[in-house]
Amino acid sequence: MNTLVANILTQVFITIIAVVGVYVLTGLTGMFSLGQAAFMAIGAYTAGLLVIRLGMHIVPATIIAVLLAVFIGFLIGYPTVRLRKDYISLVTLGFGEAIAALLNRMQTLTGGAAGLTGIPRKTTFTIAFVSAMVAIVLVAFFRSSKFGRQCIAIRDDELAAKAMGTNVTFIKMRAFLLSVALTAYSGVLYAFYLSYVDPTIFGWKKSADWIIMVFFGGVNSLTGSVLGAFTLSALPQFLRSLESYRFVIYAVLVLLIINFKPSGLLGEWELTPQNIKKLFSKIKMKFSKKEDKRNGNA
Amino acid sequence: MAMLEVNNISKAFGGVRALENFSVQVDAGEIHGIIGPNGAGKTTALNVISGIYDTDSGEIILDGNRIETLPQYKRTRQGLGRTFQNIRLFKGLSVEENVMCGYDHHSYYTVLGGLFPSPRRFRDEKKASEMARHYLDLVGVLSYAEERPDNLSYGIQRRIEIARALTCTPKILLLDEPAAGLNPTEVTELTELINRLAKELNIGIIVIEHRLELIMSISDRVHVLNFGKPIASGTPDEVQNNQEVIDAYLGVEED
Repeated sequence: MNTLVANILTQVFITIIAVVGVYVLTGLTGMFSLGQAAFMAIGAYTAGLLVIRLGMHIVPATIIAVLLAVFIGFLIGYPTVRLRKDYISLVTLGFGEAIAALLNRMQTLTGGAAGLTGIPRKTTFTIAFVSAMVAIVLVAFFRSSKFGRQCIAIRDDELAAKAMGTNVTFIKMRAFLLSVALTAYSGVLYAFYLSYVDPTIFGWKKSADWIIMVFFGGVNSLTGSVLGAFTLSALPQFLRSLESYRFVIYAVLVLLIINFKPSGLLGEWELTPQNIKKLFSKIKMKFSKKEDKRNGNA
Repeated sequence: MAMLEVNNISKAFGGVRALENFSVQVDAGEIHGIIGPNGAGKTTALNVISGIYDTDSGEIILDGNRIETLPQYKRTRQGLGRTFQNIRLFKGLSVEENVMCGYDHHSYYTVLGGLFPSPRRFRDEKKASEMARHYLDLVGVLSYAEERPDNLSYGIQRRIEIARALTCTPKILLLDEPAAGLNPTEVTELTELINRLAKELNIGIIVIEHRLELIMSISDRVHVLNFGKPIASGTPDEVQNNQEVIDAYLGVEED
């Protein structure tokens, strides 16, 4: 594989990990976090600083970074998940921007606006690929468990979910923390891949990007979210010359999707062996119909 | 002591007294009807009992435990199932998954089991599915297990909602206008179903309805509300001949 493609795919896989996290939060549970990128920042900076300043090995640094993000996520989530869904996006937006500002201000520790440099380059294509696959499989298992079911129940009708004996705050918190852990881990990989991070990377635009990817692919489908992440993060890399128009293109895509296929590219379709079989038999039917027609005409 | 004892609960919204001093005692196997004109406080009574609203005063005792201060989901776990007037099924889940939700608080596998399949998760999920199918069968809609609730008729959705409430294994079942939007045949079938559930499962049922015929035909006891106040309570016959009830329903003749 040529290096350019490998590099691009590595970044794409890192994004996919964060986006499946957003899928758990937004797709499954119906909560919007506009400060999600801040957890990526916490993961990236913590891991980077531990390795640079304390000379720690990357494995414990990764674990500590993810745990710290989850802890901070718990502090933020504790009051937040009790709020109505629309307020959650406001609180997380404020939190995200605060983290970015904080990283900017704490110059001696984080390097401020100049960024944190000299992080060892450890993330390889294989690590990113395997991590993304594991993340997808974990989330797929989560989705098909009672937790996934309860998340969807809460998204569809919170009151009825409570009447079923579902502890809504507890489930929302679990979903939030799972998505924080995934996002933080993606941040760690990101830092070890670019070897450089600065606060501007982790603003609300990044969080909005991820939400767009989830909606583009299909907010109710894990497969769709991964597909959305893959397409929308790979495209700009290949079309570098259009970089400045990226947000215009995104906006147009979102408008098209909302107008013509509100449930996203894939809707609720999931990539399961059963569905693939169904798809194949459908295609076969179409072909045989065409052949029948041809035979009929002849 | 009765299975469910509700003593003098009240609820005011601002200056509006939506419910005043409402009491009801329901035993296992009994069907109680609450009737009253629109806006009489029937649904408020149900919402206060099930925990959507907190009560302003009074007490609610379920199977010997005070529950009036518990949050809604804990009351469900103590044995209080309910359905809603405007059907509230989860659109993103299949019928079977909808009903499984009622059992989910009985299964104890942790988030770890949610991320990695464990034998325990497998066992719990299998049990949940069996329970869901059992209750779907009991209300007669098992054949729709794989469908999405959106695609089904109103009457079937109602039954699914009842199955979902039953999967919570309630001691008391609260039905909020279960016959709303049903055609006459469906109403008859529903009446039979409610009777059967009370006898077979030995649970207490409270039904809210504004149609007199339905309530009178299935209830062991009837409670009448008007402008938030209980005006009569007794067997269907007693209530039917009560002057205040007749006035409330038919209006008072003016001289």
